[in-house]
Amino acid sequence: MAELSGWLDDYFWGAMVVLKVFGVSLTMAVIFGLMGASAKLSKNRIANKIANAYTITFRGTPEILVLLLFYYGSAIALTKIVQIFFPQMPFVDIPPFWAGSLSIGLIVGSYATETFRGAFMGVDPGIVEASRALGISNLHTFFYVRIPQMWRLALPAFGNHMLSIMKDTALISIIGLEEILFVAEMATAVTLKPFTMYMIVALIYLSITTVITMVVMLLEKHANRHLEVAK
Amino acid sequence: MNLQIYLILESIPKMLTGLGVTLQLLFLSAVLGLSLGIFLLLMRISGRWYLSLPAFIYIYFFRGTPILVQIFVIYHGFPQFEFIRDSVFWPILREPFGCATLALTLNTGAYVSEILRGGYLGVQRELHEAGMALGLSKLHRFVYVTTPIAVRIAIPAYSNDFISLLKATSLASTITLLDMTGASRTIVAETFAPYEIFISAAIIYMVMTFFIQRGFGRFEKYMSRYVKP
Repeated sequence: MAELSGWLDDYFWGAMVVLKVFGVSLTMAVIFGLMGASAKLSKNRIANKIANAYTITFRGTPEILVLLLFYYGSAIALTKIVQIFFPQMPFVDIPPFWAGSLSIGLIVGSYATETFRGAFMGVDPGIVEASRALGISNLHTFFYVRIPQMWRLALPAFGNHMLSIMKDTALISIIGLEEILFVAEMATAVTLKPFTMYMIVALIYLSITTVITMVVMLLEKHANRHLEVAK
Repeated sequence: MNLQIYLILESIPKMLTGLGVTLQLLFLSAVLGLSLGIFLLLMRISGRWYLSLPAFIYIYFFRGTPILVQIFVIYHGFPQFEFIRDSVFWPILREPFGCATLALTLNTGAYVSEILRGGYLGVQRELHEAGMALGLSKLHRFVYVTTPIAVRIAIPAYSNDFISLLKATSLASTITLLDMTGASRTIVAETFAPYEIFISAAIIYMVMTFFIQRGFGRFEKYMSRYVKP
């Protein structure tokens, strides 16, 4: 364990990067999920088709392929665009952090679309009609009536999506983001103790996922507090 | 953006070799993972803490860590120990294919056992009691009463897990294995045409997902043929 001491701060900052990616992709996944679910439930046929294509594409392709496509694809497109204006520029890419967060957000967003769609359908239509009868606008109905009701139903499945976001963050090291897996690679090259170094990564992930699981349990309890039996 | 069709056509033979590796990985780890999952399930429902606790810890660890980290621990990490390099398993663990299969098996086994447990818990208690009243032994109750119903309940979740397994095989490309993703990565490194190659690989994965879903849908229909009126 002595060889670990010099790397602890690297692991700490790596874990911070992981948490940052988690925060950004979680936000994106919620936004994409809500957009996808409303598109699937809307009466607009074009929106329906687009949302269906979105979920089929991102649920059917491996995460790593999406990640590589986004990173290298955007790099090529950007380089071409920039070279129109600055021909001497050799290579431009978007930072791995944003390429990674965006692709994870899109992938998990496609799963969240299905979850949210199911949860929206679980909301009693009478409540939506009641709010319409009260003259509340569509936008307000969506945010103040449907989302709070839907949220409770979506939580258990969405907790699993949060765990898969967390586990997908490990992939971003492939396109060169300096997170814990990357740190472990460097530490292995110096100390020649690969098992120790990668096991630390596994334990860090395990502790983060444990915390997420507990938070989701508390949130579920909070969301269902009106259903608790009086003591 | 102008797509270069000839690039796609040229890369088809390499991709097909990669597809073979992907399918090998998929079926090998699916079969081994299913056996491991059944074994873990039996440990968990045995009712003896010295069997169920290790199974719980195993499942907790493998479901709580990313599969990529597990692959790296096995591929890069295991050779650190002398006794593993001396053991009879070394010829398997030396190869990236063996490591990837092992990692995928261990990972999917944990998920499958939880899915099967969900199916097992979904079987009504009364059926169990009815079997008991008919004088069936514990083994017979498990095999002839519980299992067919539990399998039917578990199929939808299992098909999802099978698709995740298909997607997880692509991670084997990170340990130099030339599966379909690995093959497309090498082609992209040579031609630098990410759109053409990665999108065609993605389409192949999507087609496979589609057929897997179809297949499991058929199987589910077959298993629930006595439920429908």
